Amino acid sequence: MEDWRRIDIDAFDPESGRLTAADLIPPNQAQVTLQELQPKIQQIRSMSTSGDMISAIQLATSDPPYGADDSTKAQYLQAVLEALGQTRQADISNIIKQLSPKQHDVLIKYLYKGMSVPEGQKQGGILLSWFEKLTQEAGVNPVVHYLSDRRTV
Amino acid sequence: MSQSLRPYLTAVRYSLEAALTLSNFSSQEVERHNRPEIEVGNTSAELLLQPMHVSRNENEQVLIETSVNSVRVNIKVKQADEIEQILVHKFTRFLEQRAESFHILRRTPIAGYSISFLITNKHTETMKTSKLVDFIIEFMEEVDKEISEMKLFLNARARFVAEAYLGEFVY
Amino acid sequence: MSFNEKSVLANFKLVKAPIYSHCFSADRTLLAITCENKCLVYRLQGATSPPSLVATLENHDKTVTAVDISAHGRIVTCSQDRNAYVWEPLSDGSYRPTLVLLRINRAATSVSWAPSGYKFAVGSSARIIAVCYYEQENNWWVSKHIKKPIKSTINCISWHSNGVLLAAGGTDGYMRVFSGFIKGLDSKDAVVNSPWGDKFPFGSLVREWYQGSYVHDVKWNSSQERIGFVAHDGSLNVVDSQGNHQTVDAPEGLPYRSLAWINNNSILCAGYSCHPVLFSEANGAWKFAKNLDKVSDANAKKSTVSLDGNDDEEENNAFGMSALKKFKELDLKGRVSTAVQHSAHENAIVELKAFQESNGQVVQVSSCGLDGEIVLYNV
Repeated sequence: MEDWRRIDIDAFDPESGRLTAADLIPPNQAQVTLQELQPKIQQIRSMSTSGDMISAIQLATSDPPYGADDSTKAQYLQAVLEALGQTRQADISNIIKQLSPKQHDVLIKYLYKGMSVPEGQKQGGILLSWFEKLTQEAGVNPVVHYLSDRRTV
Repeated sequence: MSQSLRPYLTAVRYSLEAALTLSNFSSQEVERHNRPEIEVGNTSAELLLQPMHVSRNENEQVLIETSVNSVRVNIKVKQADEIEQILVHKFTRFLEQRAESFHILRRTPIAGYSISFLITNKHTETMKTSKLVDFIIEFMEEVDKEISEMKLFLNARARFVAEAYLGEFVY
Repeated sequence: MSFNEKSVLANFKLVKAPIYSHCFSADRTLLAITCENKCLVYRLQGATSPPSLVATLENHDKTVTAVDISAHGRIVTCSQDRNAYVWEPLSDGSYRPTLVLLRINRAATSVSWAPSGYKFAVGSSARIIAVCYYEQENNWWVSKHIKKPIKSTINCISWHSNGVLLAAGGTDGYMRVFSGFIKGLDSKDAVVNSPWGDKFPFGSLVREWYQGSYVHDVKWNSSQERIGFVAHDGSLNVVDSQGNHQTVDAPEGLPYRSLAWINNNSILCAGYSCHPVLFSEANGAWKFAKNLDKVSDANAKKSTVSLDGNDDEEENNAFGMSALKKFKELDLKGRVSTAVQHSAHENAIVELKAFQESNGQVVQVSSCGLDGEIVLYNV
């Protein structure tokens, strides 16, 4: 090996006690596959196309697929972004008022996640108004929770 | 302020407010060192917190990366055309060369962004957190204005030069 | 602000550097604070006059992170230079340092004397808690290590009043209870009938709770066998030996750095919001009770973000411009506008300690902050 000087020998020490990103995932997380999740994604889609935004957002923000793989999470995110994007500006604060603090925490994860992918950035304006209404309702609380929460969406 | 700029800045303000909760944290990797954990190739994943991505559109984004004792704020300034690209580059370069007088400015932006700030616990201990947030928000407000003013000025100058130069050929 | 004056008893601006830790002597006459790589000892002179400096303890060559005073007046300091010193008070008012053999190779972050005053625990970035005690034969302080299963830096430690159980929290997101039982120093009588278990060999893990975010401070309530801790997600948690776990969120969102039990049913917390917040327990649930020394909303910094979508013109002036306005004023008139009010602490509060008790209830609490101030609050 050429650059043996750069080998991080501590990483080979089982006693080093370092934590990797995988170690941080909270214990007892249920695994979810795409097949199991597909009906829920369909339901969110059909609710948002039929205009029942409150139920769509309520469903999307309860029990999100933390234990799924990345491609499954991406599909779920798509459905959530569509629902968020189809909501009328005037309805946003009403919907947020009907969510529980736990659902606020989930919603902000999707807002940050949405703004980090190109599909979400195209509709950055609507995501930002969701963000604004959410902080009006719940203050800085969801943001603080988001920072330390290791369960990603 | 335009209607869509306000929610953008609000989101950045709340994100910064939550992120600037830093503590003095000595390295657990290297003896007797105290370094900004966001900047070092980190072997302890728990010291980094979730990154926060706030974007107004594809061209205007802020990425706030937080760790236990430091926060990196990366701003992508709006660049609609090539002239703006050049102006933003010149402008941020000018600032970065004088980074020490700005305390929190990083000498180089991280890839994909126009300008980066690095705030460590030293800064939050000596400065008021709310003022730091105000500074960054104000910077974001001003930089757009500055760039578009420079562009107008540049265009006006170019027009004048072109007229004066080409005027020679008119008879 | 009448409310303000009522809750703040005294406010001492001592140093121009953050105070990470402070401690009063048992009789409340001496005050020790950390200041950069020194520890300063002051003598209190009442609530109105500033304390006078009586000793400067300087042996550390990196930031001092924590200080504690034992029941016998011994001061222990620990620092990011990996060392801890025990400072023995001499009759002429000076202190004689003794190095503690910590045997850790990273920063020491927190220190706490056991109630007996014959041993103390040091938390460290080396993923170790060192429990230190005096060895007569060799005439020095030696330590025993608690290693497993600590995965990251220890931020805070707290002793049970029986001097055996030790609660610790850190950046790995766990709050754990260990046994710090030292043979020959502690007696088994102290833990007879303890609800936490039957046997407590040194270093054994008694319980652990997963919080997921950095645990900033932990405090025992020994009489009730309960533990309170605050974490970086802005929560205050109370746990007991039966596995009950109650959580309450900070009303203002920003995380707390410290907590102090006021009585069996109330806890005072303080942190990045720069003023203490009282929580109380009613019908088995913890709830926000009141703010101490909070700047009224009209003057608070948040006022710059009044979020009413309609008055765009007004927003334009208020939003983010307050700093600019202030600097302009400073520039033009050479003074800062006096209208700005702030709480006693201008920066985050990092430690709370009970200052005075009466009838089993803490009535006064002391705090130290990143702004270099010590504040006494009436609860």
